[in-house]
Amino acid sequence: MIVRPLPLPDTGSPPLTSPARLLTWQVWRQRDVLAKSLLVGIVTMLASAAAPLLLGLAIDEGLAHGFGRELLVWCGLMLLAAAVTVVSGVFSHIWDVENWLRAAFAFAQLVGDKASRAGHAITRRLPTGEVVAAVANDALRVGDMFAMAGRFTGGVIAYVVVAAIVLSQDLTLGLVLTFGIPVVGGVLALLVKPLQSRQGAHREATGRLTALGSDTVSGLRILRGIGGEDVFAGRYARQSQEVRRQGVRVAVLQSVLDGLQVLLPGLLVVLVLWLGARAAVVGDITSGQLVAYYGYAAFLSWPVQMATQMLQMVIRAVVSSRKIIGVLEVAEATPQATSPQNLPPEGSELVDESSGLVLRPGRVVGLVSPEPDASARVAVRLGRFDDEAETGTPVRLGGVLLAELDKETLRHRVVVSEATPHLFSGILGEELDARGRATEADLLGALFAADAHDVLDSVPGGLTGELPEKGRSLSGGQRQRVALARALLTEPEILVLVEPTSAVDAHTEARIAERVATVRRGRTTLVVTASPLVLDHLDEVVLLDDGARVAASGTHAELLERGDDVGARYRAVVGRSMAEDGSDDTADDTADDTTDDITDELEGAAR
Amino acid sequence: MSTTAAPPAAGANLLPIADRAEVNRTVRRLFRRHRRALGAIAGLHTVAAVAGLAGPFLLGRIIDEVATGTTLGYVNTLALVLVGAVVAQAVVTRFAQKVSMVFGEEVFAELREEFMNAVTRLPLSVVEKAGTGDLVARTTNDVNKLQHAVRFGVPRVLVCIVTILLTVVASLLTDPLVAIGLLSGVPLIWVATRWYLKRATPGYLRESAAYATVNGTITEAVEGARTTDALHLGAKVRGRLRRDLSETFEAEKYTLALRLRLIPSLDAAVWCAPIVIVLWGGWLVSQELTTVGTVATIALYAHQLGGPVFDLVFWLDELQVAAVALARVVGVGLVGPDRQAGTDVPASDEVRGHAVRYAYREGHDVLHGIDLDLRPGERLAVVGPSGAGKSTLGRMLAGIHPPTGGSVTVGGVPLVELPLEDLRQHVALVTQEHHVFVGTLAENLRLADTSASDEALWGALGAVDAREWASALPDGLETEVGSGGHALTPAQAQQIALARLVLLDPHTLVLDEATSLLDPRAARHLERSLNAVLTGRTVVAIAHRLHTAHDADRVAVVDGGLITEIGPHDELVAADGDYARLWHSWQHE
Repeated sequence: MIVRPLPLPDTGSPPLTSPARLLTWQVWRQRDVLAKSLLVGIVTMLASAAAPLLLGLAIDEGLAHGFGRELLVWCGLMLLAAAVTVVSGVFSHIWDVENWLRAAFAFAQLVGDKASRAGHAITRRLPTGEVVAAVANDALRVGDMFAMAGRFTGGVIAYVVVAAIVLSQDLTLGLVLTFGIPVVGGVLALLVKPLQSRQGAHREATGRLTALGSDTVSGLRILRGIGGEDVFAGRYARQSQEVRRQGVRVAVLQSVLDGLQVLLPGLLVVLVLWLGARAAVVGDITSGQLVAYYGYAAFLSWPVQMATQMLQMVIRAVVSSRKIIGVLEVAEATPQATSPQNLPPEGSELVDESSGLVLRPGRVVGLVSPEPDASARVAVRLGRFDDEAETGTPVRLGGVLLAELDKETLRHRVVVSEATPHLFSGILGEELDARGRATEADLLGALFAADAHDVLDSVPGGLTGELPEKGRSLSGGQRQRVALARALLTEPEILVLVEPTSAVDAHTEARIAERVATVRRGRTTLVVTASPLVLDHLDEVVLLDDGARVAASGTHAELLERGDDVGARYRAVVGRSMAEDGSDDTADDTADDTTDDITDELEGAAR
Repeated sequence: MSTTAAPPAAGANLLPIADRAEVNRTVRRLFRRHRRALGAIAGLHTVAAVAGLAGPFLLGRIIDEVATGTTLGYVNTLALVLVGAVVAQAVVTRFAQKVSMVFGEEVFAELREEFMNAVTRLPLSVVEKAGTGDLVARTTNDVNKLQHAVRFGVPRVLVCIVTILLTVVASLLTDPLVAIGLLSGVPLIWVATRWYLKRATPGYLRESAAYATVNGTITEAVEGARTTDALHLGAKVRGRLRRDLSETFEAEKYTLALRLRLIPSLDAAVWCAPIVIVLWGGWLVSQELTTVGTVATIALYAHQLGGPVFDLVFWLDELQVAAVALARVVGVGLVGPDRQAGTDVPASDEVRGHAVRYAYREGHDVLHGIDLDLRPGERLAVVGPSGAGKSTLGRMLAGIHPPTGGSVTVGGVPLVELPLEDLRQHVALVTQEHHVFVGTLAENLRLADTSASDEALWGALGAVDAREWASALPDGLETEVGSGGHALTPAQAQQIALARLVLLDPHTLVLDEATSLLDPRAARHLERSLNAVLTGRTVVAIAHRLHTAHDADRVAVVDGGLITEIGPHDELVAADGDYARLWHSWQHE
């Protein structure tokens, strides 16, 4: 059986300069299995190649001399060859499968690793479907090549050995076989390229069809609710017919290849048979040898077929590894600093230089802005999500730029929970516990703080129940509260919550505001919100001006009561939910003027 | 499938998988439909296979002739006959293959189109229950898995069977006595194949499910990449993928173990048959019951059988996988409708709920008998704490699920007895979820009204205040949007959803927190867009922001699955009940 359980613990770091480099790297990584596979492939093919020879000898030496000892001996040898083929065939299959799995799993893991580390850079650079296809399809195509390697090598070796044997016995026939077979192979290989290009067109059309299908399925709720099923089924059918047309184009060429695969080796066999028969008539060779040559000619078309197949698989593997490289190449949005700075001590200030916002240790602060996008932007950059976009807006923890800190430590010390976080499928309790250290009491405590106890009833099985993908079975408000509980459970030194209560009712919001403030009391916390229910419970509120700079700070009550311009502006912002003015925010309401970061940030949700 | 929604628990929410009989029925139906093509394939491949049998036969003749002494001229003639046979075989093979593969393309296209038709007709309640993960897997993985089998496998299997049968027949014709030796391989092949086929299907089912899980994990990892980064969940995601791959490995190991019994058995049978024939033939030759050439011919036939037998086995393996995929593809078509459309025509536009009850799980009523009459043209805000049953009530009012008790009617006709096309003309539900389809903006809008003119589309966009950004798109209405196209913000996506409603033009709309997942300002903006287009319609707005309630004609407070208060805002405030308390706390007074 396969000795090594998969997946392997270490995925390694592959070279991404070219498909050839990447494939070679993987070849080296699984050289042990490949070697076994090659070895046993050679044995299998050689034992198979021995069959015509032994059959010929059995006819010559055995049959010719009647039913006797010699026939039994030759048949015994054939039996031995058969036994070797059977046993090596078993190992050949085991190791071919292991090769396939090793390669396919390795690339699946590499892609998964990338997706787990790249942050939002991956969704920004590639459509989700392409990343999934890299695992669902491309990794498997690369695996095919690895699985074929052993048999292919065996075929090549068997070809060389057989050619040598025949050459040593009969020069003319030997030359015909030695050169005839590669010529046949060469001619057939000529068709491979155009065939692959048609297959490529077919695959592309199929890919579009699959994308169309999964897009339709993803929006099925809308189609069933609003209509358009027929339009979409029709669209799918049209593309399906296009795929069929492309498939027929492949079939036409493929059938020519199939015909040639009969014709060329067939003619070669006839040539061998004719030459051999003439030699037999004049007594140069025996009838047993004639049978053997015939057997060889037939046998050798097998390696040729394998070579054509291998060629196709290699080409496909190269195409697929290029796609895999496309995914692996995505640069992480926030890579680990090359030489991380020493960590600032606990209780350091977090400072956003462009806005002037300073998070002092132990304070629970609200951030309010006339333009909610602006305050969300400030909050999000406190978490360091995109180095490239944030180069102009430095944020420092204890005086050190975030980008220069050890990333893992940063993620543990500062947690930013955005407005629409993703919920993953899995056991509810495990999904809540992002750090993997919470007790049941902790979980229940966080659910209480987020006023999300009702979720335990909505998810059958409660904490041990299964949460479906994206928390689909929950209402929007429930999803938001689960996400809030999850953020609270990370227990970071500094917690930033962006609009944590935008999807819940006022009653619930009031409870959450009070409980979250209690839970985080004495620990640095920033809440971006314009809700007076929340702001009222915080130690301090910071108001940004139109230029997204800190304009004022104070308690909610103080700011409300200020008689100056600041007070008026604050009242306008936090009271706006009641007002039906509309004039001040229509200008910036057109959704396409939101800045790039926000668009990027929201894109995921739109998809 | 039951018609009521079960709790969305894992395992329980999967779509049906067709049983063997159903899969066989589908295959038979497809084959019957393509009888003629199948006949042509079988005929052509028979001719090709016959031509392919000439080689060993003529070789046997040559051996016997050489033994008795013959001329080079005779050899030349035989060689020419053989050339003719090879050319004939090649030409016929070419056409046979073409016909087979075109057949495969056609059958596969039919299959997937039928599948997509079934998918787009799934009852809404089922779609919500099953989630899209399983369906996406069937649309992509399973359909693709079928591809190989249907396009190449089915024709190939036919060829193999024809070749095997003809080779056996040819052996029998050459010398039935020697050909008996061919039977030596049959028992082993028979037993091993039966043993294998019985166990393979569950093994491949498990394998298929394991791969679907891996793909699901990757999908989630990509879609949630930002959250993964923010909460430092990377290690967790990697751990999950590792677990999924381990399970896939176990599943692969099981099917491998099955094949490891099958393959050597077949191998042994295929290799032993020529040996038995030579031994048996040797004895017959010694008894002068046959000739050496005949034995050689049949031994070569036996040897030649190895290829098609292995090919057949390989494809049986593949067809097993395909049968599993087919069971999942066909399974989608087995979902029964969740409602029976009647013929009654609503007498008016009045929507009435009477004693409406609903339970997602039996015995766990979410709604406890709600009576609610909508007044045509009114704006009703539904407020209440989370989990009170607001969304469920909304779904009942929109006719998504049939209620477990009581009824919701429009003009006297139960909503769930209206044909879906008609239902949408009456009531539409707008939820928090929005999806921008791959395609042009125009295509995204025309879902609601396939015949709408460009002017109508612009009108609808204008009505939802989306004209400005839409006209700024690179190709206007023809701009490609959705995954891979021009990226839209959630607010824009939501506006598209609203514009669709304008085009659909139902008299009653149920808005289920349609704007709650956006940032508050965008939500208010959208609500203003809505206000402009909702006039003249009956609107039920399920909301958590009280200013929506403030604007409404009536407010219904839902708590614990019942309407506890209902009336105009001012009255409820004056009544000093739950609503008044909420309102005051919201106003911070």
